[in-house]
Amino acid sequence: MSLDVSRMLDGDLAGDELKAALGAVAGDPSRRDRYTLYGLTGDVLRGNSTPDDGFSMRIFERMRAEGTKIEPGYDPLAE
Amino acid sequence: MHETDPDVELVALAQGGDEHAFEALVVKYQRRVARHVARYVRRAVDVEDIVQETFIRAYRGLTSFRGQSTFYSWLYRIATNAALNAAQREPMPVATTEDADERAFAFEPGNSDAENPERSLMASQIADAVQRALARLKPELAEPLMLYEVEGKTYPQIAEMLGVPIGTVRTRIFRAREFIAKRLEPVLGPQRDRRW
Repeated sequence: MSLDVSRMLDGDLAGDELKAALGAVAGDPSRRDRYTLYGLTGDVLRGNSTPDDGFSMRIFERMRAEGTKIEPGYDPLAE
Repeated sequence: MHETDPDVELVALAQGGDEHAFEALVVKYQRRVARHVARYVRRAVDVEDIVQETFIRAYRGLTSFRGQSTFYSWLYRIATNAALNAAQREPMPVATTEDADERAFAFEPGNSDAENPERSLMASQIADAVQRALARLKPELAEPLMLYEVEGKTYPQIAEMLGVPIGTVRTRIFRAREFIAKRLEPVLGPQRDRRW
């Protein structure tokens, strides 16, 4: 349920509970929607109401297109 | 801000190869990172490119994050470096401190021109919808949400401040978010499907 989405956003889930919530969010558009809306609400309350407009999707698309992978030993702060 | 990193568990999953965990972190922080980057560069297209670069670098270097800071602090530093590197590679219009906050507020992902009235209007409508919902929200629900989102208090701190169990804090924050989400949906309309 969406309570778990709210808790996930706040880092209030761990272990199997978190994995279950993450799987539910990834596989259920309505829960993904809730995760995004809850996050947007927090940002608005902190003064940032910019709509997403596919911004996150374009990040994932670029990562897929470039075949981005975790690189052990790479330190992004060293660039 | 939170005394502990709320993202420890998600980051651990992402470091273990769970792509959905990293996606959840991107969705959670992309707006905050974009706002930060918009303080360095003027054009929205440059902001978006640098934000993408930030998350790509973060993903590639996930195993180098060892929790000495919060995950967001780490992202923030990567974004700062990426913005400065981009400016060195190819001089781009650099932000001035006077208008940085205003432009960061008006930052419009996906557009080459930061002056986009439709997007600014949408941002205003979103802000209005949240403020209107907040005004109608029962104080017992609004207070824990504001303490969490704005004051950066943790669930245990909020429970202590309000004199209620932690379980009550988490359900009240959830109910507050749900109340506001239902009033945001009609404002966002069909574009909601494009967000993630």
